[in-house]
Amino acid sequence: MRVPVSWLREFVDLPNDAAAIADRLAMLGFPVASIENRPSITGVVVGRIVELEKHPNADRLLVARVDVAGERPLTVATAATNVATGQTIALATIGARLPALTIEPRKMRGVASEGMMISAEELALPAEWFEDGIMQLDSTVELGENAIDVLGLETAVLDVEITSNRVDAMSVIGLARELAASYGVPLRLPSFSNPGTGAEPPGARPRVSIESADCVRFVAQRFGGIRVGAAPTWMRVRLALAGQRPINDIVDVSNYVMLETGQPLHFYDADRVSGAHFIVRDARNGEKIVTLDGVERILSEQALVIADEEHALGLAGLMGGMSSEVTDATTAMILEAANFNGARVRRMSSQLGLRTEASARHEKTLAPALAEIGAARAAQLLVAFGATAYEARAFGTQGAPPAPITLPVREVERLLGLDIPQARIIEHLEALGCSVLPEKADRLLVTPPLWRRDLLIAADLVEEIARMEGYDKIVPVVPSVAAHDVSSAQYDLEGRIARALAALGYREIITHSLRGAQPFERAARAGLAPDRDEVEVLNPLSEEQRFLRDSLVPGLIEYMATVNAPVRVFEIGHVFAQRDGRITERPALAFGFAAERLDEPAWRDAHFLELKGDCEAFLRDVTGRRDAVSAGARASFHPGKTALVSIDGREIGVIGRIDPRLERAYDAKLPVYVCSLDLEALPAYRLPHYRPPAKFPSTYRDLALIVDLDVTAQQIEGTIAGALGPICTGARVFDEYRGRQVGADRKSLAVRITLQRTDTTITDDDADAAIDRAIEVLREAFGAEIRA
Amino acid sequence: MSELATQLEELRRRFGNAVAGAPDEAGLEQVRIAYLGRNGEVTQVRRTIGRLPAHERPAAGKSINDAVGAMEAELQTAQARLESLTFQSELAESIDVTFPAIPAGAGSLNPVRRVIDDACTYFRRHGFAVVVGDEIESDYNNFDALNIPSDHPAREGFDSFWITATLLLRPHTSPVQIRTMQQHRPPIAIVAPGKCFRRDAVDARHLFQFHQIEGLLVAQGIHFGHLKGMLAEMCRELFGAQQSVRFRPSYFPFTEPSAEVDTTCPKCGGEGASCSMCGGSGWIELGGAGMVHPSVLREVGYDPDIYSGWAFGFGVERLALARYEVDDIRRFINGDPNFLEQLA
Ligand SMILES: [Zn+2]
Repeated sequence: MRVPVSWLREFVDLPNDAAAIADRLAMLGFPVASIENRPSITGVVVGRIVELEKHPNADRLLVARVDVAGERPLTVATAATNVATGQTIALATIGARLPALTIEPRKMRGVASEGMMISAEELALPAEWFEDGIMQLDSTVELGENAIDVLGLETAVLDVEITSNRVDAMSVIGLARELAASYGVPLRLPSFSNPGTGAEPPGARPRVSIESADCVRFVAQRFGGIRVGAAPTWMRVRLALAGQRPINDIVDVSNYVMLETGQPLHFYDADRVSGAHFIVRDARNGEKIVTLDGVERILSEQALVIADEEHALGLAGLMGGMSSEVTDATTAMILEAANFNGARVRRMSSQLGLRTEASARHEKTLAPALAEIGAARAAQLLVAFGATAYEARAFGTQGAPPAPITLPVREVERLLGLDIPQARIIEHLEALGCSVLPEKADRLLVTPPLWRRDLLIAADLVEEIARMEGYDKIVPVVPSVAAHDVSSAQYDLEGRIARALAALGYREIITHSLRGAQPFERAARAGLAPDRDEVEVLNPLSEEQRFLRDSLVPGLIEYMATVNAPVRVFEIGHVFAQRDGRITERPALAFGFAAERLDEPAWRDAHFLELKGDCEAFLRDVTGRRDAVSAGARASFHPGKTALVSIDGREIGVIGRIDPRLERAYDAKLPVYVCSLDLEALPAYRLPHYRPPAKFPSTYRDLALIVDLDVTAQQIEGTIAGALGPICTGARVFDEYRGRQVGADRKSLAVRITLQRTDTTITDDDADAAIDRAIEVLREAFGAEIRA
Repeated sequence: MSELATQLEELRRRFGNAVAGAPDEAGLEQVRIAYLGRNGEVTQVRRTIGRLPAHERPAAGKSINDAVGAMEAELQTAQARLESLTFQSELAESIDVTFPAIPAGAGSLNPVRRVIDDACTYFRRHGFAVVVGDEIESDYNNFDALNIPSDHPAREGFDSFWITATLLLRPHTSPVQIRTMQQHRPPIAIVAPGKCFRRDAVDARHLFQFHQIEGLLVAQGIHFGHLKGMLAEMCRELFGAQQSVRFRPSYFPFTEPSAEVDTTCPKCGGEGASCSMCGGSGWIELGGAGMVHPSVLREVGYDPDIYSGWAFGFGVERLALARYEVDDIRRFINGDPNFLEQLA
């Protein structure tokens, strides 16, 4: 809400420094987003055009004599076309400083001009909100006065944020009340007495039938003698400073009263309300109304309307309708100052997608007492503009008054940790308009003022006391925390994982959990048809946010494609799936790299082995266990370079190169290698147990075996270990060769077998015998030949 | 001159030449073995003593020992000379130490995790547990249990992504409070970092996917001063000892009294009128905090007359933005390698 400080000053004495006022508001819970300081303007006075004649030497210029209550009228040449004798205007005299220029004596086509009549733009007001040409002032202001003061332009404008619980502060008076309480100075409220009197013409007396409990109060008041025109300049300027465009005196009065008191108003053309009878009722299903914004709206029973006996006139608390709009032809009108159930207005507002300054207040549920105050202020202003006000007629109830709250005095110290004497507590609460009675010893009975509907429980009062005392008075203390039984295991696991991968040279990234359909489209382009089991968002802001990721892998490929350089990254995050209407959410991990293609034969891939090594090291670090891999297949992965990873027989994920067709679909120029693991499947960390080194030395033998292509290293190692038993402490394939020397359908594997005895040093004879046994078994099992 | 003497002289001459000719320490060792080793030439000579008459043997032994002593001395001198030669060439090696390093395995934690870790480390030192929760949550845990019934205006502040009529992507980490309090009796002391989602338009200060860190302390005798104490200390831990913290009244349905928490802008130290990080205010907004609302305590079966507590919820990327002086919050998502490298 934009609040000119000069408007606040009308109700409360404030420090000169706008920044200090802004700070005070912030520390009361109303942060000031910006302070707009008006440009400093000097030398502009109120003047009246007493004489106007054509410029002797220029057709387009006029020469005016302007009375500024000086020794003589000043002579001013002007090119403006909207000037006339008798007008009151603002005149920048010689030496005046305006935001864009300084006025100096000058001759205009031979006439010495002693000043400049000014327009809204020269006062740094939005020109399009005011009359073209010279700004017209109210004829009542004293000539020679400082025009800037008269217009209230010498002020800062605060952009104040008001939390949704404080609808009472969504007004100039509301904020002035807070400041008065905080500074401990009086609040000067305007008179709230309604000048309306007397009986309306026959049949013109407004009646209201409230048919919905969601309308609490409805004040209706008839005004006659209406001639719609421009509002006085002081009001237009004030509205403009508050960010509200001046329209005409009627609209301006309703906006002005709303900004000042917080009560939204609506005016109906009295002649267009059938029978002067308002009915507040649920809309009929399918009922139509054209609102003031020109939009035809089709309503449901959820909408609350103000109708006459024939049709809906407006949407309660939201916006009026065209059919009863006040126009230039209006001579009599009826004011509505009403109070509605906030929740009802909010639902209607969100259903219709329509939000207004009025609904922003009504939807937070205003105090019913405000309706009569709003009507009274409007009547005062309209009467001052020459309208006739008839008696204000209130319908409905005043609603339930705020209930008294019991405040145990020690509750203040219990919640704040600050000992505030009882007398001071009472002082703070009374400053905010509460009435305070001692209930028992150490208990107060506090009745909030009518406008504070947010104060319901003792804790609410404690906050008020803290606000008045100042949050900065509360002493910071670090508490000692008692033992409790909440576990940090899941978080610790994630931290351990992240640190293990960072140590292996991977950088952690965070990608989007919400994604568009591109992963599916890309998979389709790659000729893959993944299961569509993703969770869908009902209300994404864009198609890019429609689905929750079901895997971390697409995000990783996409990242690597974007970087388009060798890079090693990982991500830990949740993945989502939906099966048979059941939504699952699981923590997942993916790590991998993009790397330059190597010059290798088709049967070897060192990148894969590097990833496998990282995976082993990672799992060892995080679980304390060794994993096993077996060749496998997974959509998105290369059919010949993919392995399933398991620990103790339980599958936990997959490693491999990404399917090159998918890489292409992502426009990844470098091959991508990824390990994807299900964190829920990771076994708990197992502590390693120390085994002292063997007492007797080991020996080893290297074998070169020629076997069929489909024999795996794992089979060879397992077979040797199984055949030799405990004497074999290691069997590891360390090289592979394929080529002409071994034939097209065979390969050569080099294996190192380590042998050791626990009871004595192993002899060459023992070792040779074991190797012979191994060779025998390998021959039988795989038809292995031993290469010389 | 006896035969032995001649023999020894000849031996020593050859030895001398060999020592002089040894190119390095290894060569010298070979010379030693050849002359003075177990089967070296000196041993051969020594064996001939046995053939001498018994009365000549002591003199012969002495002359051999003298020769060995002299040869060993010679060897030692040569050894010292060659050793210094060896070091001389090794010491003569010289490199340009300013040559670029061979990069170490450049792994790193995301700056978001670092901020979370550092904050959690602080709270754990004070006995807090760290709890993580699901990102898809029920509207009950998200709103109703937090004193935000369906008609409440505050629901507008949480523009959420809905999955079904009752499930949504959590717009804040506060449902973790509810889950924890439902499962445990007081005292409760937790921090809960995690991902959150809101239907916000993305710009330099907003993401629709971000992280929050939530804190909750519920026990007997917990008050607002404790909230101030711990958050101030946490800020000093994250940003440095100069940090000050400001609490402003605010409104959240789940806390009462409520506060917005600001900390000194680390970029300008609270001074910069034209600071791009804080917009000239000198303060960075951390997020909301306050004393847990009695309705929230009652909802999880805690007696608000016995227990009191505080909670806070801060935006992690906002903290990281200020901490690392990042210009645009979008960099935290899909952070490019250069960004990650700089903040590693
Ligand atoms: Zn700053």
